[in-house]
This record gives sequence, C-alpha cells and structure tokens, in this order.
Amino acid sequence: MLQIDHLYKDYGRFRAVNDLSLHIPKGDLFGFVGPNGAGKTTTIRMVCGLMLPSAGSIVINGVNVSANQKEIKKQIGYVPDFFGVYDNLKVREYMDFYGSMYRMNSKEIAGISDDLLELVNLSDKKEVFVDTLSRGMKQRLCVARALIHNPALLVLDEPNSGLDPRARVEMKELLLNLKGMGKTIVISSHILSELSEMCSSIGIMDHGNLVASGPIEDIMEGVLESNRLIITLDEGHETAVRIVNEHTKVKVDSVGEHEIKLSHNMTKKEIAGMIGMMIENDVLVTGFHKQEGNLETLFMQVTKSSETQEGGKEHAAESNR
Amino acid sequence: MRLNPIVKKDVKVQSRSMKICWGVFAYELILALVFFFAMTIIQQESRYSMNNIYSAMVWLYPVLAVTQLVILGVVVPVRTASSISGEKERQTFDIMMTTSMTPFSIIAGKVTTAIVQSMLFVLASMPVMALSFIIGGMSWAYLFWFLGIALLVSLFAASIGILCSALCKKSISAVIMSYGFYLFFFIVTVLPLIVYEIIEAGASWNMSGTQSNYIRAWLCLFLMLNPIVYIVDFFAHVMMGESWAASILDLVSATQPRGLFHFISSGYVWMILSTVLYLAISALFLFLAARRINPVGRHVRRAAKKSGGKSK
Repeated sequence: MLQIDHLYKDYGRFRAVNDLSLHIPKGDLFGFVGPNGAGKTTTIRMVCGLMLPSAGSIVINGVNVSANQKEIKKQIGYVPDFFGVYDNLKVREYMDFYGSMYRMNSKEIAGISDDLLELVNLSDKKEVFVDTLSRGMKQRLCVARALIHNPALLVLDEPNSGLDPRARVEMKELLLNLKGMGKTIVISSHILSELSEMCSSIGIMDHGNLVASGPIEDIMEGVLESNRLIITLDEGHETAVRIVNEHTKVKVDSVGEHEIKLSHNMTKKEIAGMIGMMIENDVLVTGFHKQEGNLETLFMQVTKSSETQEGGKEHAAESNR
Repeated sequence: MRLNPIVKKDVKVQSRSMKICWGVFAYELILALVFFFAMTIIQQESRYSMNNIYSAMVWLYPVLAVTQLVILGVVVPVRTASSISGEKERQTFDIMMTTSMTPFSIIAGKVTTAIVQSMLFVLASMPVMALSFIIGGMSWAYLFWFLGIALLVSLFAASIGILCSALCKKSISAVIMSYGFYLFFFIVTVLPLIVYEIIEAGASWNMSGTQSNYIRAWLCLFLMLNPIVYIVDFFAHVMMGESWAASILDLVSATQPRGLFHFISSGYVWMILSTVLYLAISALFLFLAARRINPVGRHVRRAAKKSGGKSK
C-alpha cells in the first residue's frame, strides 16, 4: 500500500529525514513514534504531497506521490494535528464543502456524509455549527471529513494531542473500527501506550532516522534483548553502585532513591553472585527483578541509544577539530 | 456549470456573519455623507449661477463613483490579502491542499469571493447612484460602464491582495505588502515622466520641441498602468466625451498624424489598451499566486531535484 524508499529531506544544511525506507501493507494500522523533531510530521507531509522529498520515493497504491499529484490526492485522507474551523459553518455544510472539493456531486456527498457522521457518532450534530463542537468531536469530524472521498490511505498526524481521556478512547475506538473495515491507517503520536494498544506495527523515528520498524512484538524482542534489571534497596547505595560498576558486563542506567536500574548481559549465576556480594557488604537489598518490556521502555531505549550514537559522533567530530 | 466550492462556502459563511451587514452599512454611510456634501456644494453653487441645479446633479455621478472605486481599491486587497494567509493561520490550508482542488482553482475561488462581495457593496449603492441618473439625466449605459470599471478595479485589487497573501505567512504583512504594491503602481508609473521633466528643466542641452514631446509621449505610456490616470480618463470620457490621457499624447500625434501615438490617442484606444494591461497583470498575479501556493509545483520539483542530487 505505502512504499517509502530511501527518503531524504533537507532544510538547508539540516537533514530532517535521513534514508527512510518503509513498507506498510494494505489494512495495516501503522504508528509513527518519536520525540519532537524526530521527523514524523515531515515524513507525513511528504506522504501527503504537501512537501517534496529531497531524494527518494513514496509510492501509494502503485502511484508515485511526486509524479502524480492529481491521482495521489484521491488516495489520501489527511487529518492534521490541529483542527482549524470556519466560523458559521454547520457540520453538514462542512462535509458538503470538502465533498465538493473532491468534485463529488451533492447526492453522493449527502449519502456518504450521513454514513460517516454515523460512524464517528456525530449523526445528531448535523445541523450544529462546527465551532461549537468539543475538541474531541471536532477531531472525529475531521476524520469523517478525511474519509469523504473513500481514500485508500488515512494519515493522521498526532490526532490525540490536546484531547481529554474520554475523547482519546473514542478516537481509538474509531480508528480500530476503521482498521476492522480494512482501511490502511498511518498515525503519528507521542502517546505510546495508545499506539501499542491499536497499532499492528510501528516505526520509531529519532533525529530523522527510522531506528526501528515492524510488528510491535518483533521490535520488542529485538531491541529489549539486552536485559534490564531493577534492584531495590533501602541502605548502602554507594556500596551497591561500586559493586555494580566493578562488573564489566553491567552498565548503570539510573540510580534512584530506592532503586538502581542497569543493563547487563550477565548469566543468572553472575546476577546471583553480584546480589550476594551486595548483601555481604551490608547493602540492604529488598528485591530485584527484570524490567518488563513495554513500548515506553522500548522507545526510551531506542531513542537513548540513538542519542548516545549522535553524542559519540559529535564527540568524535569535536576531537577531530 | 459547477460553482467553485470555495466561493459557495465563503459566500455562505460571510452572509451569516454580521460583518457583512456592518460593511454594507459603513459603505452606504460613507456614500451618503459624500452625497450630502456634494449636494450642499451643488446647492450653494446654483445660488450664485444661472445654471440649472438639475444639470449640476450630473456631477454626483463621478463624485459617488470615484468614492466607490476608492473604497473598493482600499477594501478588496485587505479582504484577499487575508484569504490564503488566513487559511494558513487557521491551519486549514494544508487540508485544502490535500483535496482535489488545484492551486489555481483555490486562488480563483478566493478572488471570486472578494469580487462577489465588492459587487454586493456596489449594487447596494445603486439607489444613491440612481439619483444622478433620474434627476441629473445621465444615460443608463454609463451605469453599466461604471459596473464594469468597478469589476476591473476589484479584480486588479484582489489579484494584488491574493499574490501578497500567497507570499506572506501572516495576514497583517500581506495587507501591508498589498498597499506597497499599490504605491508601486501609483508612484513608479508616473516617476519616469516626473524625472524627465526635472532633468529637462535643468538640462543645458537644446532639444527640439518635437524630440522632447516624442520622449515625453513614450514616458506617458507608463501612465496606462496608473490607476488614478485610468479613473480620471474614464470620467473624462463620460463627462466631457474625450480622453484626458490621450490629450497628453496629442502633442506628438499632431506632428506624426499616422504614428503610434496618434492611434493610441484616438477614441477609446487608450482606455482599451489600459484595460487589457490591467487584465493581463491581474492574470499574471493570479498565476504567480497559484504557483506560489503549490507545494509540489514544477518549480519546486526542479529545485528539489537540484538539492536531491547532493543529498545522497
């Protein structure tokens, strides 16, 4: 459905997207995750034909985005992160307006917009002015608007930003409904837990690079293979940190008031030995457990390692100078 | 014929807003004030002259018409200058650009809305304008002529506004830039003639009268793009039956009876040429605005290709 090959986007000397390659199959709900400035919105804007790539290609349903703008506009439904409204326009008229922008006749628009408004639970708001709707309703209306021409691909850029919890749940249900109908959806978000609940696959972006992509389970397995251990303790922090640092196979990630988080590649025997040594040295260890993998930890781990690499590169460049 | 969706939506949205009512009210109020001011002058003039007051009423026509053209010239750029930049500020522009509407149809829609609105103002002023036709005895043909001129002024002003709107991100800077464009047309078109007159007055060389008039006539051609000259020329035709602008060229055409200037100064040629030029400039501005808002136009693609080569 969506094939991105070696995509680059440069703003002057700044590279916003760097060699991004991605394939999203038909019917997939794909989540783009990444910190601010990772290049998610730039990628989405290029997919929607709102921006040209510096290099690389984007193909949707066999149509190249840069080469065939007219055709690609029929294939895409775009929901931006901010819902701009026109004053004095009713919900029905809003749908009419966008329907006619896709050269649909009024009969077609009326039929489809009724169905779509029902889908997004706004059937009873047809004669209500758009600017009086709640933010959640506006966002759902925006999804209905994006679907009016029955696009093959629905692209949503941070659709949940600024929504209250209820509106978020409603939006999630709506997207899962659409996924059930076989729509291909690309969504970018900061709210990782929500993406993990609804997306079949994700792509993690950082500093313009796609650092991981694929089905969530596959990524978790791949990225979390270096084990993370959390040791909780009441006394003897300094001694515990010293003992941990003595091990070459261990790296301290963070030291809190009652816990030490570390990454390691030790065997079970070695872990037991290290904990034993702490107890022998009067460290009051109250417990230890392997950190469970979830999308948040995965995200932090991936973006952190990317940051470390960047830092390393910068450091090397600094040294060369 | 299919109505541009932007025109349909904008007209609907505007007609629901109180702004349009207040706009028409302010427009009528200004015209009424000008009308009463003109009437007072006409009345006082007639006291001390033998002229019939009804014949003086004819002068209401140019006074009210000029007032309207000035208002349109001031208001229309503001209206269009905020149209594209307003969509950007509302963040609805990106959505618009992902629909099947072409950049030119978006621009055309915005300009048509502005023209429709300005013509609504003009039509609302018809009762006041009609006084000079009913009492003053003006021909009705001049009313339609005025409507045509109002349409042209609206189109020209709208095309300047929309180009600036496409160039600027903020509406306020687009409005300021629009007035800058206006100044350009008002000042730059008359500047060559003024500079020549100053240089000639202070020059030590001795140029023949014919030569001097010939240069002057060429420089006068720039005045075809001066909106003030266009409007004055229009009223000279209506009120006196002759072209004011063309009379400047007569000095040359007298010495060259079959030349270019003789042709331009005859009949309505100056006005027609000037109208064609305004239409051409308006079309150029609309084209440039459409090109500017197209995020992936041919010019952008070419630029991207150039930088794309370096990217990899």
